[in-house]
Amino acid sequence: MATIALPKPQVAKGKRGGRWSPWLFALPALVVYVAFLVYPALSSLFFSLTNWDGLSATYKFVGLENYFKLPSDPVVVTAVRNNLIWTVVTIAVPTVIGLLLAMALNGKVHGKPILRLVFYTPAVLPLVSIASIWGWLYNPQYGAINSFLKLIGLDGLAQPWLGQDSTALWAVMVPAIWLRTGFPMLLYLAALQGIPNELYEAATVDGATKWQQFWHVTMPSLRPAHYIVLALSLIDSFKVFDMIYAMTYGGPGTSTQVLGTWMYFNVFQYYQAGYGTAIAVVITLVAIAVGIPYVRSQTKEAS
Amino acid sequence: MTGNTFTRRGFLGLTSAAAVGVGLTACTGGGTSTGGGATAAASNNLRLFTYEGDETIGLLKAQIKKFDEQNGTTTTVDSLPGSGAAVYPDKLRTELLGGKGPDVWRIWGGQIGAPFAKAKQALDLSPYYSKFSWDSKINTAAIGGMTFDGVKSGVPFVSLGIGAWYNKSLFAKAGVSGPPKTYAELEAINDKLVAVGVTPVGLGGKYGWDIMRLFEYLLEHTAGPELHDKLLTGDESWDRPEVVEAFALFKKWQDKKWLPQGALGLDPSDVEPWYVQGKTAYTITGPWTEAAAILSAKKSPAAFGNFELPTDKSPARHSGFVEGYMINAKSGNADKAAALIDFIVQPATQKALQVSASTVKGAEPDPKTLPLSAEWAQKYGSNPFYTIQDQAFPKKQADQYFSVQSDLLQGSVKPDAAAKKMQEIVSAWAKS
Repeated sequence: MATIALPKPQVAKGKRGGRWSPWLFALPALVVYVAFLVYPALSSLFFSLTNWDGLSATYKFVGLENYFKLPSDPVVVTAVRNNLIWTVVTIAVPTVIGLLLAMALNGKVHGKPILRLVFYTPAVLPLVSIASIWGWLYNPQYGAINSFLKLIGLDGLAQPWLGQDSTALWAVMVPAIWLRTGFPMLLYLAALQGIPNELYEAATVDGATKWQQFWHVTMPSLRPAHYIVLALSLIDSFKVFDMIYAMTYGGPGTSTQVLGTWMYFNVFQYYQAGYGTAIAVVITLVAIAVGIPYVRSQTKEAS
Repeated sequence: MTGNTFTRRGFLGLTSAAAVGVGLTACTGGGTSTGGGATAAASNNLRLFTYEGDETIGLLKAQIKKFDEQNGTTTTVDSLPGSGAAVYPDKLRTELLGGKGPDVWRIWGGQIGAPFAKAKQALDLSPYYSKFSWDSKINTAAIGGMTFDGVKSGVPFVSLGIGAWYNKSLFAKAGVSGPPKTYAELEAINDKLVAVGVTPVGLGGKYGWDIMRLFEYLLEHTAGPELHDKLLTGDESWDRPEVVEAFALFKKWQDKKWLPQGALGLDPSDVEPWYVQGKTAYTITGPWTEAAAILSAKKSPAAFGNFELPTDKSPARHSGFVEGYMINAKSGNADKAAALIDFIVQPATQKALQVSASTVKGAEPDPKTLPLSAEWAQKYGSNPFYTIQDQAFPKKQADQYFSVQSDLLQGSVKPDAAAKKMQEIVSAWAKS
């Protein structure tokens, strides 16, 4: 039997650039990366060790003083608590609702494309618009929410939602959930469509109920999607800033402050750039601690 | 494999560094520019940064165009309207640190403008005060509001008094014939308004500064001018009966439903026009409301009125503040920037800009275009004023103070505890 000789790949004689070639190709991106990320990051780290006011040309090196002040700042304590509540709620609720919606839309549903669009649309709306819309909805005297509650006879439940410590943070979380449900829904929908039908057929033949199929076929098959949704949501939740800033400005008082807004207030409004930057460093360290397991898992899969 | 291990570690390292970078870059601001300070090269281009609203920005641009035609300059006008003192200074600060700050910017006096002067971002304007004789053309008290540590860092062009602006038809509906002469009469009017289903005063607690206007009035009523001024400078303790009484009255206004329901969560920009829309009987604001709320809603000024909130004290005072212009210390066009400010503070320009409470002699409001502002200026313009409290305190202390107001209105602290807390805030600031 005749064999066909495959052409050998041409190998350049001599080294073109040698071991420096990858670095040369990476150089343009690396320059941008160093200039716009690494250098500002290191300078921020440096300023967190100073008493710079954010405006003056001079500052003093104060070592770790800004970091030592953090635990005794009552607003930092409030902010950490709010961050934790925000993170748990705005991950758990949109993820569960997103999964349920994805499963509903994965079946035979009339107007599926329109429904997908409806559920995902909040995710693409500008946050400031969302904040304004919900601010009007929550208006204690003229807002739709209290009006509706009064209409159905639940006057006692009508509240100044954004105007009291006890409800303000929860009231901001509702639109956050509303706008963040579309993302897990789309990811889960894509993942659900990738589960081979044969698995369900085999499970049916084995006598598995729908509930058993959900736990033993669907959920294990969605594991990669769970990981992406949870990791990205966790990072996103921890760095919350915009919704709080636009809807309550951290108030009433400081009751809805989170670390992101408190960092902003200190750096940009109180002329305490050194202290505010120390808060930013803490936020970053937490984000890294959360992000590394995700990156590690992704790189493991890739390798 | 070695290669794979290296790649994964490298990827992890790079990703972690990226996370550090993204997180920290957010707050670097212009940190790297601190060592800068280079003065920009002179040119015929100027940039003016302001917070003029949509209703008046056209007037300003028309006047700036006139200046450019006369002086051969090209001036760009940027505006950040509607944000109030809560956001505008942040944007300005970021621009200045970014090295591309405006040549001229508008700013409030007191503790809002002070950081820019103290950090020497704003030019010492003393030479230009001499050159253009601003001392003789502009109200002396107003100049004091933009003088920091003895340095004239700004040129005030507007001095605004805060008072009550009311809807005449809603007052009539409650059987109120005219403005109150005493604090007791004001309370009686509030009761009458509530009795006919009208919320008396429209104020919003988001940001803190709007609802603060009520408390500072109550403090002026209970403490009187001399003590009030000493409280604002930290020369007297806040932990005293007059302050406790003011906090108690503040709570009373909410409990008796003289404030909108859930006022603490309301946005001032939503609430302030309610008196024009007939949702509240009055608000506590300044003469800008005539153009911004009444005229922009195509309502006749004749349907509205204003009055100085009665303090029962002598001299009768109202809250007030100044706004003016500063010049960038790093501007390469300081002379032209000063000439631009001088053009703006000419009486003719002030009238063309429809400035409702100009500090410039000969630029009083026109009764034909702004009848209510003219009436305010005529009746109360010469009355002394106390520094509006969000300009009396630095932003951090002002926010702490707003927090005390918030806790008090929600009932989590009592008036006496609020007074003690205020004393802690003010004494900590005075010591710093």
